[in-house]
Amino acid sequence: MKLELHKITVRDVQWGTETCVREGVLYVDRQRAVDFVAEEKRFARVDLELARPGESVRIIPVKDAVEPRVKMDGKGYFPGFLAPMDRCGEGRTLVLDGAAVLTCGPIVAFQEGFVDMSGPGAVYTPFSETQNIVLVAEPVRDLEQHQYEQILREAGLRLAVHLAQACLGSPADAIETYEKGSACEENEKFPALPKVIYVCMNITQGLLHDTYLYGSDLRPALPTLLHPNEVLDGAMVSGNCVSACDKNTTWHHVHNPVVAALYARHGKELNFLGVVPTQESTVLDGKIRASKMNLTIAQQLGADGVIISEEGYGNPDTDLCLNAKNFERAGIKSVVISDEAAGTDGASQSLADATPEMTAFISTGNVNEMLVVPPMDRVIGWPESIAHLSGGAAESLRADGSMLVEMQAIIASTAEIGYNRVGCEWI
Amino acid sequence: MTREIEKAAGIPVVQIATIVPIMLTVGANRIVPGVAIPHPVGAPDLGADGDRATRRELVLRAFRAMQTEISEQTVFER
Repeated sequence: MKLELHKITVRDVQWGTETCVREGVLYVDRQRAVDFVAEEKRFARVDLELARPGESVRIIPVKDAVEPRVKMDGKGYFPGFLAPMDRCGEGRTLVLDGAAVLTCGPIVAFQEGFVDMSGPGAVYTPFSETQNIVLVAEPVRDLEQHQYEQILREAGLRLAVHLAQACLGSPADAIETYEKGSACEENEKFPALPKVIYVCMNITQGLLHDTYLYGSDLRPALPTLLHPNEVLDGAMVSGNCVSACDKNTTWHHVHNPVVAALYARHGKELNFLGVVPTQESTVLDGKIRASKMNLTIAQQLGADGVIISEEGYGNPDTDLCLNAKNFERAGIKSVVISDEAAGTDGASQSLADATPEMTAFISTGNVNEMLVVPPMDRVIGWPESIAHLSGGAAESLRADGSMLVEMQAIIASTAEIGYNRVGCEWI
Repeated sequence: MTREIEKAAGIPVVQIATIVPIMLTVGANRIVPGVAIPHPVGAPDLGADGDRATRRELVLRAFRAMQTEISEQTVFER
């Protein structure tokens, strides 16, 4: 399977009379893009805002982030959502590298977050460094929560594809190629290298906590095996309102650093056999079933080692422990990547569950760490919603516009696929 | 809380919880497995009668667990 990412570097975003990219500047035809999104009649109001790195801007509450992308054969993106149902991970994809669509609207559920484009909060989120096109949308009255989540999720995807589509034909600044054969072929090429798979745990709990694979809800699904190219090319879409700090946005899935790092070492240090998107069920049998099926996939492929990343915290800590326990007991080395909920002083037990087999743990930070973020000149969205967000409280928002919050209120501050700057300090 | 009530007041506590491994980790002694995280003590998908029967069975099992002498952490399965 061979995938080419044709990356156009975006260093700035501006309003323009037509949507296009020229010399690193993405120009957005605001009215046309607004009209396009407003075709969804369940929105009462649609607007767009721009937010650039370094500006004194706060965006709250943010639900998802999406990188503008489109297949260069004109067939859309995100199969099952905005492309005909087909396999992704092959062919050529246009990427507006450095741009992001952020979706923002009145709060859907308590687990959304905020993005600061400057100041102390900015360093904790990757979206303070992207050129952001912020979709601000309000639903019609009395729209049910799950329908609101759905239309906002899909609107973010649509806007991202719309922007990329308008830039088709512009030359790429760089072309990245990802190519890897079947497990059998790679095993023949690299018989001496350790075989590694990546188990990517996903929030699959219903009630606005869902992840989609090829347009299909992963909650009632079973663990499956993907070629890494599929992950890097839009197979997975976030639809969840899990705690802002450790949800994998749709942007994160196509940038998955574990996939990228394993790919970079493939054929040199290890043999990367594939990605297993797996579930975090709300029932114990579901957790056991998924973890055992992950083991079967690993054993059938002859894996020597597994990297496991969690999404969310709390009950998914049990899925994490079950996965680690199963692999280790079967003689397969496992490394887990997770954040910690260790209390505001960092002194509490950091995971809800524990198991002695979990011996290799990479921490992406403590979600309860407190910080003060100063007032911003401009706030996009609904600043008072901090009172209802995980990591916020009624008294978080102060009269001057500053906020006292936990890290977990910042989008992707402790992302457990590792796309952040927080971790342990080596002493 | 479960452990503190037992320790400080000497009152036996039955913990109904969905994710049993977490209860074992935190040291609960009498554990009754619940149904699902969004609805630990009910089964709305079984309809009103099924839901009621599930609730009743869980509570009766919890009473039974409370009266059972134990010497180690015990999970009271159905």
